[in-house]
Amino acid sequence: MPPKTCALCSSARAILKRPKTGQQICKDCFFYVFETEVHNTITEAQLFKPGDRVAIGASGGKDSTVLAHVMKTLNDRYNYGLELLLLSIDEGITGYRDDSLETVKRNQEQYDMSLKILSYDELYGWTMDAIVAQIGKKNNCTFCGVFRRQALDRGAAILNVDHIVTGHNADDIAETVLMNIMRGDIARLGRCTSICTQGEDTIKRSKPFKYAYEKEIVMYAYFKKLDYFSTECIYSPDAYRGHARAFLKDLEAARPSAIIDIIHSGEAFEIKEVVKATQKIQQTCKRCGYMSSNELCKACTLLEGLERGMANAGVTDRARKKMDAEGPAPENLRIIPFFQQPAAPHRTDISIADTST
Amino acid sequence: MSSCGNPSTESDALMSRRPKFDKSKHCVKCKVALGNIVIRHAVYCKECFFSLVAFKFRRALEPFVNAKPDGPRRTALKPAGNLLLGFSGGLGSTVLLDLVHRSYIANRKDELRRDGGKDHPRHDKVWKRVIVCYVELCDALPGRKDKISEVAEAVAQYEGVEFVPLRVQDAFDPLWWRCIYGEDAVSQLRINLENDELTSMLTNPLSTNPLESLRSYLSSLPTSTAVCSALHALTRVLLLHTAAETDSSHLLLGTSLTSLAISLIRGIGQGAGFNIEQEIQEEWLSDIRPPNFDSNDRANENQKGVRVIRPLRDVGLKECAFWAWWEKLRIVGEDRTGWPDSRQEIGGLTKDFIMGLEKDYPSTVSTIVRTCAKLSPRGEVSGKCVLCERPAQEGVQEWKSRISVRTTAQSVDATAPPLPAPLQADNASATRLASHLCYACHTTLTSRSARPPPPLYLSATKTSSTTLPVWVAPRIMRKVGEDEMRATVQEFLIEE
Repeated sequence: MPPKTCALCSSARAILKRPKTGQQICKDCFFYVFETEVHNTITEAQLFKPGDRVAIGASGGKDSTVLAHVMKTLNDRYNYGLELLLLSIDEGITGYRDDSLETVKRNQEQYDMSLKILSYDELYGWTMDAIVAQIGKKNNCTFCGVFRRQALDRGAAILNVDHIVTGHNADDIAETVLMNIMRGDIARLGRCTSICTQGEDTIKRSKPFKYAYEKEIVMYAYFKKLDYFSTECIYSPDAYRGHARAFLKDLEAARPSAIIDIIHSGEAFEIKEVVKATQKIQQTCKRCGYMSSNELCKACTLLEGLERGMANAGVTDRARKKMDAEGPAPENLRIIPFFQQPAAPHRTDISIADTST
Repeated sequence: MSSCGNPSTESDALMSRRPKFDKSKHCVKCKVALGNIVIRHAVYCKECFFSLVAFKFRRALEPFVNAKPDGPRRTALKPAGNLLLGFSGGLGSTVLLDLVHRSYIANRKDELRRDGGKDHPRHDKVWKRVIVCYVELCDALPGRKDKISEVAEAVAQYEGVEFVPLRVQDAFDPLWWRCIYGEDAVSQLRINLENDELTSMLTNPLSTNPLESLRSYLSSLPTSTAVCSALHALTRVLLLHTAAETDSSHLLLGTSLTSLAISLIRGIGQGAGFNIEQEIQEEWLSDIRPPNFDSNDRANENQKGVRVIRPLRDVGLKECAFWAWWEKLRIVGEDRTGWPDSRQEIGGLTKDFIMGLEKDYPSTVSTIVRTCAKLSPRGEVSGKCVLCERPAQEGVQEWKSRISVRTTAQSVDATAPPLPAPLQADNASATRLASHLCYACHTTLTSRSARPPPPLYLSATKTSSTTLPVWVAPRIMRKVGEDEMRATVQEFLIEE
């Protein structure tokens, strides 16, 4: 059988079948379509303005390693005029994060970007190893997730950046849409497909890989010879998310467009106005100044529980009431430093849009 | 039982098993009888179970019987037309038929008060005619038995109910369409499935073999998921047009809470997020005018609207099964998804997933339905999808081309496939069907999997162009009548 020619350029030999479209294409055309789709995502949503300082949330895994490469490529190719930096969070998981941070340090040298590593220990006084030692493996993902989100914002504030980009890919978003529907988390369902989220007091956070398939990200890393660190977290995975992920993989095997179809579904609906009116109003945490839907933000509640030896207080309502019944927090309680939004640097007010046409 | 860790090394890794019911073994409603069934941790006796299900059925139906939904006033149920019940022979529709008969036909006489005389309006039936429609799929999928006579027998057990059998190939039958909408509305489109724009044009003469057209259509679809999804849509639209034909103002479907949760997730998995509201409840209006339509007759206009309701949407599959068991109802239908050689398809995978998840997380199905009921479509409507007749979102094709780049500048000319012979005859009249479809239907026709699906029929050959259902062409290329033209420009005409 003669070799197939690329469905896009019709000249080179096709060497891969795109997971997203099923087209058989050559390596160069794959790079072109992958990067162009990310560029389309950025320009359509007008994510950046020239002169923006943008922190790339880097974990050393495949998504953030490819994101750093693509962001640098597109910034040079389309003259975005962005100042790119790397921001890593060290959760303090021995044998997991310390290895992957080596990849991030290598990226820093390759791309000549400055790097800031912020640790849970530095910020909260607790490593994940210490947290798991106290609470066990059940619910530890709740602590890690809440602490990481806030740590990224705080790291970005220290670096005085305008914007954080993370490597969340299409598979992650489709999985989150399904999970939020099945768990009835209406507030998160309403915002999980937004490409960019920004509270009044938080730094812009966006996902340029929103429409990029996980398999294509690995394919890009493979053909570009980018090395990354890959392992499951040594602490317990989220069982419910595991169910949703396995289901999504089955759907993708049945019809590869399922991932993008779920994202389209998520973008095609919104929360009814009458329901929105019943949602909690966002305020700032009275203890640390971070955005919160209650008087105390989730991170402060979790930390107080840890400090007072009642770790479940941040996880269940019953445990929270029990902690409240034991009286107010002691004066000498270790708390998270007060959150300061970075001062906005002066820059032009024109968004980056597609000028190629 | 769920695990977050390794149960062999950690004692706290396994969650403790929850008790099957909350408080006592006595019925939570009458608090006297011993319970016979546990519904999500609540215990009910047999007697209270029947009244509970009947209550849930009426609560989901009666507020929407009157043209203007205004609350559950039983004595003032005044629907604008007849009732069509979509019957598959499955568990849900069998229970639904039993409940409709029990509530609005059999028990009606017993419940009526004797005062007011026998001709008092209160004694009128809620629906003048109750029609049961069954769509037979046996000719579409291999290995299926024709069940029309069995279904007819099952329906005949209920007095006061009419039976209308259809075959799914009627969707391709110009004769069936002509009976409803007359000669003027009959035309057919052929479509080229080789490109994403889905070039299509009118066929002349009309296809006279509906079964061949149906099989050619299903064989041309790119995935097993698309075949199941297409059959689902064909059945639904056949029921809607039958509702219009029978002057029905309401179409009831036997979708239980469990099957509603499955169909919502299945729809989301196929990109139909814009139509979440219609999946729960739908108002459908035929935009093809029947031959005897009088545009000045307001009553006639209202008659053509059909409200699709799922009265069992608060009743789980287990409750339906107990109802059927205790009432000794015969389930004549069979599982309608898939066929012996089919690959895994999204509907079947979703069903397996939800049923499995419900074992560990028993409130999953009601959470899914409650969550989806809080959603509304986002963005503008570009019109009605010509294939599934649901609202289509604007900008779908632009969105698709932006997030999946399928052509480069140099590839546009080189890769455009030539039109197949039937579509070459008169290019001037060719239409790009893609712009008339909703996201989910366009995906059904164009989204391919890594490997092609196994052939559906040994005899049918796969062709690149195929005939579309009879309702597509009249909505794209319909002849505009004088009345319609006049109605459009009415306000600018000066009375003579």
